[in-house]
This record gives sequence, structure tokens and C-alpha cells, in this order.
Amino acid sequence: MTSATLTKPSLMHRMRYRINLAYFILIPASIVAALPFLWMILGSFKSGREIRKIPPTFFPEEYTLENYQTIFQEEDLPLDLFYRNSAIIAIANVVQVLFTSSLFGYIFAKFEFRGKALLFWFIMATMIIPSQVMMIPGYLILARLKLINKLWGLIVPAAIDAFGIFLFRQFSLSIPNELLDAARVDGASEFRIFRSIVLHQLRPALATFGMLTFMFNWNAYLWPLIVLTEQKVRTLPIILTWYSNMHADQMHLTMAASVLVVLPVLLVFLFTQRWIVHGITLTGLK
Amino acid sequence: MAVTTIAKPHRGLARFLHRLRHGRDSAQRQFVFGSVSPMVLYMTFFTLFPMIWGLALAFFEYSARRSGGPILGLGGDNPFVGLQHFRNMLNFAPDAPLEIRQFHISIKTTTIFAFLIVPLNLAITLPLAVLIESVHKRLKGIFRTFFFLPVLAPSVGVALMWGWIYHPQRGLLNAIRTAIGGKLVATNWTGDQSLTFLGIPVALLAVIVAYLWQDMGYNLVIFIAALQGIPESIKDAARIDGANWWQMFTRVNLPLLKPTIMLASVLTMIDSFKVFDIIQVMTEGGPNEQTRVLVLDIYNNAFRFQRMGWAAAVSFVLFVVVMAISIVQARLLRTEWEY
Repeated sequence: MTSATLTKPSLMHRMRYRINLAYFILIPASIVAALPFLWMILGSFKSGREIRKIPPTFFPEEYTLENYQTIFQEEDLPLDLFYRNSAIIAIANVVQVLFTSSLFGYIFAKFEFRGKALLFWFIMATMIIPSQVMMIPGYLILARLKLINKLWGLIVPAAIDAFGIFLFRQFSLSIPNELLDAARVDGASEFRIFRSIVLHQLRPALATFGMLTFMFNWNAYLWPLIVLTEQKVRTLPIILTWYSNMHADQMHLTMAASVLVVLPVLLVFLFTQRWIVHGITLTGLK
Repeated sequence: MAVTTIAKPHRGLARFLHRLRHGRDSAQRQFVFGSVSPMVLYMTFFTLFPMIWGLALAFFEYSARRSGGPILGLGGDNPFVGLQHFRNMLNFAPDAPLEIRQFHISIKTTTIFAFLIVPLNLAITLPLAVLIESVHKRLKGIFRTFFFLPVLAPSVGVALMWGWIYHPQRGLLNAIRTAIGGKLVATNWTGDQSLTFLGIPVALLAVIVAYLWQDMGYNLVIFIAALQGIPESIKDAARIDGANWWQMFTRVNLPLLKPTIMLASVLTMIDSFKVFDIIQVMTEGGPNEQTRVLVLDIYNNAFRFQRMGWAAAVSFVLFVVVMAISIVQARLLRTEWEY
């Protein structure tokens, strides 16, 4: 490309024009895309008096931290507890899903056993079934297991991820058999081979899929809403809507609460988004 | 004689190898059996069993509050009604029971929602991907991250943020319109059922905008990756032939991206048929059911009004819809593209 542009000034000119035009659209578009975030953040620094002004102000006339202080002092809203609930569920599910996905992905890629084709077909078929279809029987099962309103209720049924098995099968296929056989000759047990060699080879995929799983669990709303109906076991997204319904008339407070729920995790995701983007482009997963 | 002398060490070696391999084999078999059998048991209980139970529920008048018959509470107070739920779905009489009319509304709303989301999403993400792909390498990453950010946010947060944009008195949207027009406006974007645009309720359009804002980052990164996959030689050839940016877009990028666009549209459509979070938080299906979608209908029936049999039947419809789209997808993607 460079040689072509150098020898053809008119072409270079056209390129330059197109790129300028791109900024002309991209920069305003980014500002518009950022507005909802900006509006929330700015609003969280406005006083209760200012937030009620009609028409509203864009930038706060006076920046105040009062709203955040109110939220931290609120006894109905032990944010640390809800952070803990969300973190326990998300981390437990990342760990177990990564373990089962890599183990069974590896087994489907490298071993032959009776019923393998049927089992794999069944797992793939479950991917098409919307999770919403399973929520009624899923709830009834959890109710019988006495897992409603328990964090376990969101962990126990979530051990297998069909998509994860598919993904890690694809990655395991490229692990050379010679490597596995060499370890066998050296006397390594099969589980040891999985633990030391296979997991090592799958590391990039583990990081990417782990981030996606964490994000999915952390942001989940519908299923936790069904399973966790008592306040003390609830996760952040549910608490946020509950708090916002309680304080419908106090936008400054709900905005500050949303900032506290949305921004920290957004920052974490921002630093790891390379993996998430990689995972999405690699797999088309949502 | 000669045979035995040669065969003897051979047999010994064979036996040794066989033992080694057999031992290996059984270790491998143990490993596979020890891992796969718990998974099969687990999936039987947590995947296959609920699938069958969910399907069975659709043929009963079921509520978890009633104890019902001995097997899974089916029968007894939770009577078998056969295809009654599905027959009721076809009752289009204006005086049909409320839940049936609500089901019709939610089917219609979800379909409008999905069929608006897909073209709007593509109309934004495709040009945006081309534009981002055309800027300097370092800025490319920044722009991509920027538009991808809403994907990472919890959808509940997204719903609340857009609620504050649409707020009739204190929202940003009306504030901007007031500032431009100089006259106070207080349009109730998500709560006024009389507002329509081209026959589509404004409340539905409002949630569509919020959904698009959150969802478009996915397709954007997929398209950017696909554009990067187009060989430089093809782009160069088009440029040397004097193609302008519009010709580049319509004659080079779009045709080469066709399989990616197909896949992305199907995934976007399946996802929008399953929409729940944003709508439940922003409008709860209102005003006057104008934003009532299928999953909201299932959720309300099953968990608020304890009509689990009916809700299971509605979920079955959702399953059939998603299944149908997946089959179309498989058909479309069977064609192989290469470049």
C-alpha cells in the first residue's frame, strides 16, 4: 500500500480525504455514545436541589459528594455484602466452568469412547435452547433442592457450559499428540497430563473464556432475580433496580448508586477488554 | 524351527508392548470414564430432565403453589389439559382471556422489536466499522474500546441510564429539545401510550434505542475483525482501479463481509427475541403493554401470577422461534465463501 500511495499522489490525496471524513463522523458519534455514561456521572455529583431543577443543568453548578456519603451510610444498602454475593457467584462459576469446559473439551478432542458422538451432539443441541425456556423447570428443581435464596442455587446448576466445551474442543484439537504421548511414556498419569500439559496449552483460551464467563455472571439479571428473592443474598444488578425503585424520586441518589455499581467493574473490564474482544471475534459468542 | 526362534523374542516383545499399551489403555479408559460419567449424570439431572419437565408443564394447568399429583406435582390439582394452552394461543377473539391477548401482544411486539433491531444495528455498525478501520492504528483501538464500552456494562445499569435520558422533566433528551426550541417540552418518552412514530409506539422505539446502544459493540468488533481479514491485495487492486470510498464499501467490503454479516444478523435476531432486562427495568412492558415482550410475558406469568403451565407453553413458542431462526442460519451458512 505504501509504495502505491507514494507513486500515486492523487490516490494518497483521496485516502487523506477519506480519513479526515472518518474523524468528522467518529468524534461526534463517540460523544453521543458517551452521553448516557456522562449524564449519570455528572448527575451523581449534583445536589438533591439541583437535580429537581427544570430544565435540568448539564454540568453540576456545584460538585458534591453528599450522595455517595448518603449511600455509604444507608443501612438498607450494605454494598459490600452485595459486592461479595456477586463476586462469590461469578468467581465460583468461572472456576467450575473453566475446569469442566477444558476437561471435556480435551476429552472430546483427544479420546474415543462409546456414545461420544451422541453425547457431543446432545451438548451442541443444548446451545440452541434459550436459557429462558429452562427457567421454570430450573426454578422448580432448585425449590426441591432447597436452593432458592441460596448463592449455591446460582452455582450448582451452572457447572456445564456447552459453548465452553465446544470452544475448548476446538483448541484441544491443535495440541500435538506427540506431546501427550511423550508425557505418557514418562509415566505421567492422565489427569496429570491434563493438569500440566493441556491446561498449559489452553492458557490463552482460558483467559479469554474466563473473562467472558465472569462478565456474563456479573451482569446477569433475570435468573438471579428468580432464584434470589431475599435481600441479603441478592446480587448487584438486582439491588440496583430495587434501590432505584425505592428512590424513584431521588435521581441524584440512584445515579450515585449506579456509578458505584457500574463503574468499578467497567474499569476492570476495560483493562481486560482485549481478551473479551478477542473472545467475541474468535467465537461470535454473546 | 526357525519360526519359533524368531517368533519367541517377538512374542515376548509383543506381550510387553501389549501390557504396556493395555495398561495405558485402561488408564486412559479410567480417566475418560471417571470424567464423562459424572458429567452425563449431571447433565441428565440439570439439562435433560428440566427440558422434559418444561415440555411436560406446557400440557398441564400448573402452579407451584398447589401440591398436585405424586409425580413432580403434575396431575391432581394441577390437571392435564393436553393441547389446551396451544389451542388458546390461536383464540384471536377480542374477548379472549387477558393472558391470551397479552401473549398475542408480546409476540407482535417482540417481532417488531427484533425486525427493527437487526437492520438498525447493521446500518450503524457496518459503516462505523469501516470508518474505525480506516483511521490511524493507534486511534483505531481507542475508538473500538469506546463504542464497545456499553457491552461491558450491566444491562440493568444501561436501562437506568437511558431512563434518566428519557425522563420527562429531568431527562437529558427533553433538556436538549428545550434548549434548542427555547420552549419547555416534557415528552414522556417511555410512558405516554398515545405517542407513535410511523405506527410504532414511541416507548418501544425508546427501548430499542437503549438496546441498540448497548448491543452494537458486539457486531462492531466482529465486523472490524472481519474487515482486517480482507486481504490487502484486494483492497489495493480496487484502489488502483480507482474505486472511491463508496465503491470500496459496496463492491469490496460488503460482498466479502457477507458471511460475517449473515452470522451477525442471525445472532442479533436470536438475542433480540430473548430481550428482557432493559425492558423490565425501563418500562415493565408498559405503557399499556406497548413494550411487552415474550420473555417478560413468560416471567410475569410464571413467577408473578403462578401460571406456570401457560408460561411453559409460551416458552415453548419462544423455543420454536429461536429454533427456526437457527435452522435458517444453518441453511444460509452452508454455502461456503472463499477469498
